[in-house]
Amino acid sequence: MADTTTNLRLGAKVPDFELETYEPAKGDFGKFSFQQQINNKRWTIVFFYPADFTFV
Amino acid sequence: MGCDIITVSTDTKFVHKAWQENEKELAKVKYPMGADRTGKAARMFGVYDEDTGLALRGTFIINPHGVLMNAEINFYNLGRNIDELMRKYKANLYLSKKTNEACPSKWKDEGDKTLTPSAKMVGKVHEALQQK
Repeated sequence: MADTTTNLRLGAKVPDFELETYEPAKGDFGKFSFQQQINNKRWTIVFFYPADFTFV
Repeated sequence: MGCDIITVSTDTKFVHKAWQENEKELAKVKYPMGADRTGKAARMFGVYDEDTGLALRGTFIINPHGVLMNAEINFYNLGRNIDELMRKYKANLYLSKKTNEACPSKWKDEGDKTLTPSAKMVGKVHEALQQK
């Protein structure tokens, strides 16, 4: 089952996180920084899915 | 659209590249595809499945201040409705500017009926929804 120890709550701040990325728009690898999103005053939608090569 | 989408799975960025280049359904994809190999991000959002090492279908809308505004988690066998995701994002964006209003379930886009909760509305939601 999913880990339920998360402290994330609606209305609470999301801690910073970073991820290596593949960027289809550039055809290159890159990095995602959540802090950068806040610095740029951007809304963010994080969309998790189980696995590549399956339906999303 | 005013927001950035990042998709995340526990696959590597190399597999993301191979998948995006091979799957015709993904030919028009422009958003970054995040590689959460350790499941650290998935654990933080509460969608990591320790038994499989995979992330469940979780969607999270976060405002420009870094505050979590919306969370939806589906099990493996149920896909998400992108229209509903966009409705929720648009509603959050609208409500960030109209902080005394609320978007009822049938709200779809700016201009649609909203509610302004007040003492007068207690027990009169039906009537409030009928008003223009």
